[in-house]
Amino acid sequence: MPGFYSSIEISASGLSAERLAMDVIANNIANANTTRTPEGGPFKRQLILFAQKQDPTAAQPGDDMPGGGQSAGLAGVQVVGILNDPGPDRLVYDPTHPDADANGYVHYPNVEIIKEMVDMIAASRAYEANVAAIQDARQMGQAALSLLQA
Amino acid sequence: MAELSFGTTTDLLKNALDGASLNQTVIANNIANVNTPNYRRETVSFKEALAASLGAPPDPDELGLAVDNPRHIRVADGVEPTPYHTPPIHVDEAIEMRADHSNVDVDQEMAELAQNTGYQQAMAQLLKVQYSQLGQLFRENP
Repeated sequence: MPGFYSSIEISASGLSAERLAMDVIANNIANANTTRTPEGGPFKRQLILFAQKQDPTAAQPGDDMPGGGQSAGLAGVQVVGILNDPGPDRLVYDPTHPDADANGYVHYPNVEIIKEMVDMIAASRAYEANVAAIQDARQMGQAALSLLQA
Repeated sequence: MAELSFGTTTDLLKNALDGASLNQTVIANNIANVNTPNYRRETVSFKEALAASLGAPPDPDELGLAVDNPRHIRVADGVEPTPYHTPPIHVDEAIEMRADHSNVDVDQEMAELAQNTGYQQAMAQLLKVQYSQLGQLFRENP
């Protein structure tokens, strides 16, 4: 039986995942015009990968219900990786640029600012939703504690 | 372990608080996974489990039959109350409507979160009243 704090921990896992997503997006935007990286070539847009966290202790009796699958246990969300977007580079013809290739094209990162902005709004709204869930858990805890005053 | 019970109402309210807390955890998990691709939202129907733990009285409009042998036909029996157990968590396989194949609707989750919090606070308030009445009872019967 998960307690009151596990609910806040679950929301906290959402908060840190969304915050990391914001970091990745900010890094993409900051490097939108970076043509040099330590690995060589232009910066690659990075993607963050979320997965449901599995609770190993969550073998609950009667989990497999008709019409529903198995619950993975209530453990929140985790970031399983940050990947490079394999999409093609943005090519800009600028023969005078020091990083231009033999044909005069500069390979710019495959970052689209508009896409990053949309992702940023989504991450920030999801962050707010998790904050609201924590606030409600706190209110519920206070209501339960007020029973002591009865 | 025999638990000290102050009657059906307090027991029911205690189970309601337990259920609301579990429901809160489930909703928080759905919200935490709002951006997880292929996630399936989960629900817990603790109110149905609570209702079953109350049972149902026999229908007063039905004429009952005397039953003094287990092989007699029973008519208009009520539903026997069943002990309350922590209800199982369902995985909701409802149709997904998002490009990332998740079926979480954050508006729905927020609405359920607000509803659950209000419900829990109401139940806690009722339980508080129950306990203060009990306290009154103990004081007035020295």
